Amino acid sequence: MTYSYLFKYIIIGDTGVGKSCLLLQFTDKRFQPVHDLTIGVEFGARMVNIDGKQIKLQIWDTAGQESFRSITRSYYRGAAGALLVYDITRRETFNHLTSWLEDARQHSSSNMVIMLIGNKSDLESRRDVKREEGEAFAREHGLIFMETSAKTACNVEEAFINTAKEIYRKIQQGLFDVHNEANGIKIGPQQSISTSAGPGACQRNIRDTGSDSGCC
Amino acid sequence: MVPALFFFRGISLRVHQRAGRWDDGRQEPKSAFRAVGEMGSSGLAGCSVVPACAPEGPGWLQRHLLSGEFDQLRNFTIFESNFVQVTRFGEVANKVTMGVAASSPALELPDLLLLAGPTKEDGCPQLLGLFPLQFVQLFIHDESRQQLKVKFCTGRAFYLQLRAPAETRALEFSKWVRLLYRLRFHGQGAVPFTQEEWGDEDWDEETDLEDQERDWRDQLQAREARLDPQTSELWGL
Ligand SMILES: Nc1nc2c(ncn2[C@@H]2O[C@H](COP(=O)(O)OP(=O)(O)OP(=O)(O)O)[C@@H](O)[C@H]2O)c(=O)[nH]1
Ligand SMILES: [Mg+2]
Repeated sequence: MTYSYLFKYIIIGDTGVGKSCLLLQFTDKRFQPVHDLTIGVEFGARMVNIDGKQIKLQIWDTAGQESFRSITRSYYRGAAGALLVYDITRRETFNHLTSWLEDARQHSSSNMVIMLIGNKSDLESRRDVKREEGEAFAREHGLIFMETSAKTACNVEEAFINTAKEIYRKIQQGLFDVHNEANGIKIGPQQSISTSAGPGACQRNIRDTGSDSGCC
Repeated sequence: MVPALFFFRGISLRVHQRAGRWDDGRQEPKSAFRAVGEMGSSGLAGCSVVPACAPEGPGWLQRHLLSGEFDQLRNFTIFESNFVQVTRFGEVANKVTMGVAASSPALELPDLLLLAGPTKEDGCPQLLGLFPLQFVQLFIHDESRQQLKVKFCTGRAFYLQLRAPAETRALEFSKWVRLLYRLRFHGQGAVPFTQEEWGDEDWDEETDLEDQERDWRDQLQAREARLDPQTSELWGL
């Protein structure tokens, strides 16, 4: 299938926060109640449409468990987007965000767009991290923020798509060199930069990347 | 709890009850796949791939990685074969390509396991997962049917039956057998092993992981050697 761009994403965060479930919900619209620990990297791909352009998201779902982390870290390289996930019902997963962020920034391009995700928003009664705390962390570190539920699918589409919109916006602003593979962006087959969006192209559909649709 | 039949979240196991039992190892099962396209050249209309079972030249997985969507994995040399996932009792499910690769040319043995399969939509190749071999065990499940068992340290396990032309199948399977001996017994005497000798409980304790990781690191250091790339390319298989 043809596409204008391919964006590499990584999904990172503590074990059990729901990274694989977010991916599965996004690619297959299914929820997996059992926790099958990821031991390396699992891949997913999906086309999305941003501003009339077909964009292929190539998603690297990495293992969160400490024993596997040293290995999966090496695959952060060349990601254009990262979903940094914590579990709103487990404060320790929120407390570890700084270390994940350091890791991500150290092993990938400085332009990488990072979306902070507070997952399991369906478990409101067990909430351990306030939404405002997530927002504050995101603001402080220059991240986009959303709360999601991989179980009910709430905001899952938005999380992946808003990240893509932000990357696309950066491309249009000339902040991403699409010819430098280290940036995690590829121009699709049979596309050349003159036929794909360049600076100044229409930005109609790109807005509100930080807000969510309010279902959570 | 790990379900008895299990592969990947992304590609759920599809067992077709009416698919014939595999009582004749020389015959390909018929019409076993509805949702999954044929992996051979015939079923992959629009995808420029060749079956990985071609004895020489890059296989399906290698070509997929060479296609350029996976920068970091592009330069891996891969030993790969086409399989079908079967149940413990031999019923046919998904098509899978499994390969091993070395993340560095300095390694004497591969350290990564790669799994790929055709997408549901168009049957084009899709990389499903990349797993450090230190967390995976490979077993011979049924030698006569050329079946391997792949077991993750988390307890997940699945069975794969080799798909290759009848003329080359035995040879190709013997390469996998050699590989799994070498992975298991590298640096030790070649002790014959069967699945029974490996308790299924081996890896069920999460607390073992760190020990295993340490063990593996030690082994890795012992393994690392600057080898002539010509000879190390396919690990002498
Ligand atoms: N209620 C609820 N449960 C969820 C949600 N997302 C994930 N889970 C559950 O949380 C557990 C862990 O989910 P996974 O997606 O496997 O976790 P992971 O982050 O991939 O973990 P690792 O692979 O070990 O890094 C599973 O039991 C899921 O069913 C959610 O949004 N709501
Ligand atoms: Mg996972």
